[in-house]
Amino acid sequence: MTTTITETKIPPSTHEFANVIHRLEAGGSMLPDTPENLMQIIGIYKAYAVPMDFYWRDLLYIAERVFLNPLPFFKYFLPKEYLDLHNHYAGDDADLRIWRGEATAHPELLAFIQKGETFKMPKLFHHLNHDRINMEFAEACMNAMLWHRGMGGQFDPYLDTDEYKANADRAIKAYFQGNPVMLGLYKLFPEMFIEQVRQLSYYANLGLFWEVMAPVFFEMSDIYDEGGFKGVPDAMNFLVNGIFAIAGRPIYHHVYIRGKCYEIIPKSKGFMWLYEAALPYVEAVFYRTSPFRGTKSYNAQAKQVPDEQKDFHYGILYADVLPVGTAGIPPTLLMDDMLHFLPDYLIDYYRQHCRGEDDMLIQLGITFQRSMYNVTSAVIQALRTALLYPLDDTNPKHLMANRRFFEAQMDRFKRSEARLRDIQSQDYR
Amino acid sequence: MADIVDIAVSADNFKTLVTAVKAANLVDTLKSPGPFTVFAPNDEAFAKLPPGTIQTLVQNIPQLSRILTYHVVAGKLMQADLAKVNCVTSVEGSPIPIDCSDGFEVKNATVVAGDIEADNGVIHVIDNVILMG
Repeated sequence: MTTTITETKIPPSTHEFANVIHRLEAGGSMLPDTPENLMQIIGIYKAYAVPMDFYWRDLLYIAERVFLNPLPFFKYFLPKEYLDLHNHYAGDDADLRIWRGEATAHPELLAFIQKGETFKMPKLFHHLNHDRINMEFAEACMNAMLWHRGMGGQFDPYLDTDEYKANADRAIKAYFQGNPVMLGLYKLFPEMFIEQVRQLSYYANLGLFWEVMAPVFFEMSDIYDEGGFKGVPDAMNFLVNGIFAIAGRPIYHHVYIRGKCYEIIPKSKGFMWLYEAALPYVEAVFYRTSPFRGTKSYNAQAKQVPDEQKDFHYGILYADVLPVGTAGIPPTLLMDDMLHFLPDYLIDYYRQHCRGEDDMLIQLGITFQRSMYNVTSAVIQALRTALLYPLDDTNPKHLMANRRFFEAQMDRFKRSEARLRDIQSQDYR
Repeated sequence: MADIVDIAVSADNFKTLVTAVKAANLVDTLKSPGPFTVFAPNDEAFAKLPPGTIQTLVQNIPQLSRILTYHVVAGKLMQADLAKVNCVTSVEGSPIPIDCSDGFEVKNATVVAGDIEADNGVIHVIDNVILMG
């Protein structure tokens, strides 16, 4: 053992976000630890978890059952079988019980599917009246993951292998068995069909990712209601532990055709939740996504959109939430979904600020942004735990390695669009 | 001399590792002629993982195998050999950074007992489970 414990403190950081870095080094979050922040983020996790409970079920339904249906008119009409599908991380028969509640669809979700914002009527009328969960948002997230590709993990490279194409081929032929038109098209344009299957594999990937996050957020809301979280760092640490606990769950794509299961991506490939779903998701959705049609010009001469995908910075951590509710701002779909499931304490809080109920969509959007900075903090701390050193390490070389890692992460928020500066103050709402 | 598995079984601070290797059906591989270099996390290393991590991995054998094969490198590499390189490639496929400039560190783990020779390779005992990425 070295005896120079008192000498081990490293000099303060000179980074632009030094105060945030020091907070992370002390075991905190990028989001300041105030009771108001804690109340906001937990409330919004709860409001997010209910539509997410629909998203993951429908994503898996589309990947496993709708599959290559050329006219998928009813892909958002979740059959009872998928509403009753047991979440692997909730209920009595869970693989690892994260939420103490039920494994089937959340009661608030079932009530919304039945009544919506209006009254009880057939699903089709709710759908046509746009009184529904905005599933297009989940598909936009899936598309971001599909399109950005190459963000680490082995899932994406696997989609280009001959093994994958052979697995997809078996399923395509089985699905269109007895349909000479589609089989003929497949013979003419095989890549078109394979690419559709790749997209469906990403439906499965994202569905399996959110199957974990929904019970995590439900449980956090319950713990908060019981008085269990003392501050923002507690809430972040719950997420860090959740990330580790579930890191090894398999990521796969199974398709069910006429009662038979086709393993397009078998569980035996060893793909894992952490590497093949969670980290690519964070990169694709929190950081990159794609430029909002309502705020950026895609004009090639204007050069507003970067040439390199790695430079994309249109995720929730950079988003300007103020125009939510106007045309060309995709997160509006999610904000609208969350609006239906806000806890009472959050509604009361929004009534007291800004324009009260009139701009609640924007207020909750900014709360959502705060909460996603906390989730990103959890991911950063989890990566630090997995790949680097404990925060109380006594070796200065190790502490410097942690420091460099945190600084490199904060470098991504130096650009002017990043909202890290804004969320430090409660005036941003 | 004994092979890598026999040595791990006979030592008493590799209980979790031995259980995991058996669960992942890697016993035959690690008993084969190899040779292999194994970075073996001791029981304290596994105990540092947050709760639930091992439970999920033991329920999912291919994923467990992947983590375990990240701790194995082809060839018999002693500390002196590793001191000459910055990085080795694991059987899993991902790189493992090596730092021998000040002690003997493997990624974010420190070797607590190095160069334990076996019939079919060498074991270096580490104080952390190492993870890809």
